[in-house]
Amino acid sequence: MPELRDDFRRKDSLPSADAKHPAGGRRPFREQSVSSMDVLPKINSWRQFRALLRKDIVMELRTKEMITSMGLYALLVLVIYYVALSQAGDNFDVGRIAAGLLLLVIVFTSMLGLNRSLVHEQDQGQLEALLLSPVDRPIIFFAKALTNLLFLGLVELVVTPIFLLFFVARSESVQFGPAWMLVLALLVGSIGIAGVGTLLATMSVNTKGKDFVLAVLFIPVMYPLLMAIIAALSAVIAGPLGWQTGYWQMLAVAVGYDVIMLTAAFGLYEFILSV
Amino acid sequence: MKKELKWAIVLAVIGGLLTTVAFVMAFTTAGVRTFGFVDTPGAVDTVYPLAPPDSQPTDGTLRYQRPWFSQKIFYFHVPLAEASLLVFTLAAVFAVLFLIKRKKSYDTRSYVGMETTLVFSVGTMITGVLWTIPSWLSDWTQIVPVMMAEPRLVTYLFMLLLVVAYFVLRNSIDDEERRAVYSSVFAIVAWLSAPITFFITRINPNGQHPVVFQSGMDPSNLIPFILGQLGMLALGFAIYSLRIAEESSREALAVIKDSFEG
Repeated sequence: MPELRDDFRRKDSLPSADAKHPAGGRRPFREQSVSSMDVLPKINSWRQFRALLRKDIVMELRTKEMITSMGLYALLVLVIYYVALSQAGDNFDVGRIAAGLLLLVIVFTSMLGLNRSLVHEQDQGQLEALLLSPVDRPIIFFAKALTNLLFLGLVELVVTPIFLLFFVARSESVQFGPAWMLVLALLVGSIGIAGVGTLLATMSVNTKGKDFVLAVLFIPVMYPLLMAIIAALSAVIAGPLGWQTGYWQMLAVAVGYDVIMLTAAFGLYEFILSV
Repeated sequence: MKKELKWAIVLAVIGGLLTTVAFVMAFTTAGVRTFGFVDTPGAVDTVYPLAPPDSQPTDGTLRYQRPWFSQKIFYFHVPLAEASLLVFTLAAVFAVLFLIKRKKSYDTRSYVGMETTLVFSVGTMITGVLWTIPSWLSDWTQIVPVMMAEPRLVTYLFMLLLVVAYFVLRNSIDDEERRAVYSSVFAIVAWLSAPITFFITRINPNGQHPVVFQSGMDPSNLIPFILGQLGMLALGFAIYSLRIAEESSREALAVIKDSFEG
């Protein structure tokens, strides 16, 4: 059964973290009896995707490096905002620019996180190991983008309420829209940031000026998304009458950007990994 | 002589001639368009007509239609912008070809195309600023807020930043194959901004930037415009071919040097 054996070999070379059978990946495949193949878990793309996702999450749970660095950085940016706006006076309404400030902290934090997530892979030679394993390239892309999205989402979950408490809660002119609309806008923005950011960060970790190059590439590419998301966020936080039309229009622009850019990143990621 | 070099010379001569003719025509035969109004205390001896009676001021001053002399730069600004977008598209096409075929010459072509795009986009920005100051602004210090509120100008600025980022990326990679692949990928991603900046005035009509190719034009304006377009395109491809010739001679020289050093 040639195709079965081929299938078997591919299973065997997977990382043993995924092993439901006791021997893991170490036992030479010749020793395995055919009957044990029924015990082996069925390998498909979904399982590989989950294994990659689990690898990143386990690594993060052990080191807690990305969450702490991103969270702390975001909090520091909020403190700097507070200092920067401390002399603005009573007549200045921070609520009017709150959407911009919120997006700014997210963009800066995400750049830090994207760089860190790929530097890990690069330092330990994990990316090479990943390429040696028989995993489809798009799966690597989607797993990496999803972990970046998860970590970014976690940080946003902590930072956004603190931000609103710091800057928006006391502002009188703000008519706050429903919270789920804020979350939806942030989610659409984060998907774009994580997807395109994964592509660009994979490029920038292999250059001489790692995080600087990431910033130079990331901000102009992100520009249309940032414009759309900031308009949607402003509509929710400080929206005048009839803001909902603007919100949905801008969200549609952002979703369009996400679709186009994720398709491009998904198609081009394979080339990035090939060198 | 190399084939590219011959092409470059022929195109440069054609482009130079056409652009010069367009320049001369723009200042001699082309009709002066009007834009806005000028108020004068009394009647003035001028060929420009009075503003329509219903918009005349009531305090005794006369309102004339204002001749739009700064519009002359239109015959260069628009062709420069077109050439930059077309050469950018060419660079992106060569980037795609490189990723498919993995031939070094395609990467060189894409790179040279990006260089030409940079030259032409900087030219577009400079001529655009020169035109913005007299046409849209009463005071030149307002230039940044006015420009950043204009969808076409902002999207074009970000296109220029992407082209600059391409060179930053390219210069920070040492390995030759990796540099070629990464810059091709980024060229494709960056090119996605070209259609955005081209169509933004049609999608979002709130800005002041006019939509070219929609409004009809007087023949005396149209002829120098077309000549300017052709001339600028020829100049663009002349610069492109010249750089290609230079790059291929440089590669040939490197091969010769290597063979001498053994």
